[in-house]
Amino acid sequence: MNKMSSQQRKIAYLIAIAVLMVPIIWLGMPSSEEEESGGRLAQLRQEYDLGRSDIGDVDPTSATMNLILLGMRGVAANLMWMQLEDQKDHKDWARMRATTDAIIKLQPHFMEVWRYNAWNLAYNVSAEWDAVEDRYFWVKEGAKFQMLGSHRNNKYPEMCFDTGRILGQKIGMSDEWRYYRKYFKVDPDTERYDDGPDGEINPTGQDNYLAAQKWYQDANEREEKIDQHIMARPLFRAYPFRCQIDYANALHREGTFDEVARIAWEQAFRDWTQGFGKELLYAWDNVEFYLEASPEDVKALAKRNGVEEELINRLIESQIKTTNYRYWRVLAFSESKPETAAAHRDLYNGEQAFKSGDFTKAQKLIFDGMTKYEKVMNDHPTLKIENLAVETGMWSIMLWQKIYQLNNKTVPEEYPLKWLWVKEIKRVPELQFNFNREFGSS
Amino acid sequence: MNFNPEPFDLLGGAADWAAAIGSFVGLVLLVSIVTALAVHGVAGPVYVFNRIKAGFVDACGVSPRRTWALASLTIKEAVRRKALMVFVVFAVLFMFAGWFLDDPSEHSDMQVKVYVSFVLTSITWLTVPVILLISCWGIPEDIKARSIHTVVTKPTRRIEIVIGRMLGFATVATGILVMMAVVGWFWTIRQLPDDVDLVCRVPVYVEQSLASDPNAPLDEAALKVSGFSFKDREGNLKPTGINTGDVVEFISYIEGATKARAIWQFKKFGTQYLNDKGQLRLETRFQSFRSHKGKIATQLLCQLNFTDKSTGKPVGLPAFEVAEFTQNVFELDRTITYFDADSGESKQVDLIDDLVDNDGTLRIEALAIDSGQYLGMAKSSLFIRLPDRPFAAGYFKAIFGIWLMLVLIVMLGVTASCFVKGPVATFLTLSLLIMGQGFREFMLRLTGEEKMIGGGAAESWYRLLTHMNPKQELPDTLGTDVIESIDTFLLNLLWIVKHIVPNFGNFKLSTYVANGFDVPWSAGMLPGVAMTCAYVIPCLVIGYYSLSLRELEAK
Repeated sequence: MNKMSSQQRKIAYLIAIAVLMVPIIWLGMPSSEEEESGGRLAQLRQEYDLGRSDIGDVDPTSATMNLILLGMRGVAANLMWMQLEDQKDHKDWARMRATTDAIIKLQPHFMEVWRYNAWNLAYNVSAEWDAVEDRYFWVKEGAKFQMLGSHRNNKYPEMCFDTGRILGQKIGMSDEWRYYRKYFKVDPDTERYDDGPDGEINPTGQDNYLAAQKWYQDANEREEKIDQHIMARPLFRAYPFRCQIDYANALHREGTFDEVARIAWEQAFRDWTQGFGKELLYAWDNVEFYLEASPEDVKALAKRNGVEEELINRLIESQIKTTNYRYWRVLAFSESKPETAAAHRDLYNGEQAFKSGDFTKAQKLIFDGMTKYEKVMNDHPTLKIENLAVETGMWSIMLWQKIYQLNNKTVPEEYPLKWLWVKEIKRVPELQFNFNREFGSS
Repeated sequence: MNFNPEPFDLLGGAADWAAAIGSFVGLVLLVSIVTALAVHGVAGPVYVFNRIKAGFVDACGVSPRRTWALASLTIKEAVRRKALMVFVVFAVLFMFAGWFLDDPSEHSDMQVKVYVSFVLTSITWLTVPVILLISCWGIPEDIKARSIHTVVTKPTRRIEIVIGRMLGFATVATGILVMMAVVGWFWTIRQLPDDVDLVCRVPVYVEQSLASDPNAPLDEAALKVSGFSFKDREGNLKPTGINTGDVVEFISYIEGATKARAIWQFKKFGTQYLNDKGQLRLETRFQSFRSHKGKIATQLLCQLNFTDKSTGKPVGLPAFEVAEFTQNVFELDRTITYFDADSGESKQVDLIDDLVDNDGTLRIEALAIDSGQYLGMAKSSLFIRLPDRPFAAGYFKAIFGIWLMLVLIVMLGVTASCFVKGPVATFLTLSLLIMGQGFREFMLRLTGEEKMIGGGAAESWYRLLTHMNPKQELPDTLGTDVIESIDTFLLNLLWIVKHIVPNFGNFKLSTYVANGFDVPWSAGMLPGVAMTCAYVIPCLVIGYYSLSLRELEAK
């Protein structure tokens, strides 16, 4: 039986509260801006970068929503995911977009949620629309969404990588790339963006590949602190440098063969060899090496790592194969030469003449291009076994042969690059498929 | 977006209502009489009929003055219980809603959809819990506090208490809703950019689709009768087109550069569908599907054809690019100029005199032009667009739908509170709400004509216990007959439940407004009005008898 009076009990409670306050304050006191400030939990959060603000920009709405939902966040998120799928099945895009935003408020630091939804918007939803402008709008939506995710989660290298992929690959490589690249600099919604780019994804009006390069660089910076889990490290690290090659290549694809393109290729060669080529890569036991290593460099690396030169050479060779390093090196080097640009120019102009139905002009230009391209391949034998270079050669031969077929004439016995055609004859069905896709079945 | 308003069958609905009420009343009477017989002997049924008679007398003697006095007390009580605090939540929600919804880069029609859906959904889900709680707790609280004795000891009838409660809570609901609706309306107008065209379109759709009757023969007679049908690539009549891989088979596709067609037939067509300028305004909402890349820069082409009644030849309108997920609008003069391929000349026809056949039917065919590409369409993908109405017209009709829902919840809540305590009444009303909102489809499937795989409850148990595959036939024995009889009985009970649980989907009119349409009377508002009216009498009867028979001394 408690014999304390009411007043005594109250005093006892107060003392107990005061005593309990001590560990609570010691554990839970919030931190100020200064280091080592706050309670033990705050200090641990700081030490392990676990605070909300350490993970990325804090979204107040998201924080509020999670607070309001108490423990029901998981249930609410599940319901919204079901709703999202239903809206997608019903092609209810406006509400699907709103649901996506709501989900992300509930799961702001769940990387796969950002990646899945950004892909969904940029790749799946955009493909559902018929007008190129509409498709581009959804690609932008995906890119913006991924960018937001990158800001909100500054620990994940994958987030920046995916943003770079949408800006680079999706805009630069899809079927609609010609339009998308143009729209990236001048948005089709000219009224809203005043004949300029959508500042949210392209504030400085850059080329899409160069914009992507910045994101890949950010991804690499993050990757130095926290590992990525989507591909082999050397491949991941190569992306910012590949962007310059893609940019230069896109200029050629668009028919730009002037000084701008040549400088772009030169820069691509420098980036590839002096940037990626000098990038420190690691093998087991933290053995350091880089791909653009001279025999002296190999010796120095072997000494620094305390291993045999043979091992360093094997590591370098293995990663050169993984990243296709040599091909990109040769390509960038050869494309920066005026004779390669001349070969591409002829082939490009020939294809344009083919499209416009001027077969005589097309035949001559493509033949000249094939002659020049054969010389390029002979000067840089590595190109003879590399996909992109082989495809360029085979495509030009196919166009040239098609002109003969259309004119009801027999293809001559001898022609430039014939050895390539014979060697790569297995590729013809695929080329024919692409030809039909581009020009309709013949 | 799947959008397919179907006119409400009022007569069919009334017949269903009568059947459900009849079954329910019959069942209650039967149980009452049997129970009365068991308890009171032969005098029991007489007692039951006397109670029924007393009910009629009470119903005839309802005093509007007393009822309103009770209703006004109910309003005061609701205000005292801080029901209006819901405005605080509402205000907070709308103050910060912009954070969640603002996206200046979005298409304007998408913004309208998101904002309108948000406003109407918020209003619904803020008001429903408040109204549900106050209506379920009013009478039980009175009984608990014994304040009901001050009412029942006065010359008031129990039915007046029930009506007064319903009226009072409905008035509170109306007040809350009106204020929210007005605030929501101004908020929507203010939030949306100036360039957004906020109107309510008024569509006229064709009637019956050929696909709605799976047994209909596919011949010219069926085509003549049907409002919407397809022709396949060989020109054969079909109820649907091709599915190009959509999960939801609402839209059907026609193949380009073939004889495939989608056909709409507007019956009783005349000058009533022409606008002030004598023009016919048509709107189409088609979808595109490409099987090959084609010309990327241009959208797929479509053509609309009328039929010249004298020659039977098509009268083609110029081909147009399909604006996907938005709309193509055509304003056609009464005199239509078209290119006649046979003569190679331009010709003119009169829309009414030459294109409407002798039965008063205007036939419109859609065909896809691009070879190997497909255009998708549904019954509602082409309609005659009558003059637009202001946005407020559709918006406030949608609000009216919410009001009807609130009134129904009040009636259900008050009725439930007449025979059970507050928490149970709340649970019961909430269950009806959830079942009527989310499980309607499930119940329809259970009670539908198609037999469920694995059978009903008894058959499922039998299969579970005997490890029998759901596809396997049951043995032809007496046991099977018994199992099937039990299932039939249970399904019949479920049939009654299905008709007792209101279909709350009928009150959701926001879909029309969010999609830029006015709310039609027959397909939109009538089902809601009919639903609410259908519950008035049953709720009053159940409420009245429950309160009359309830022991008011029990807490």
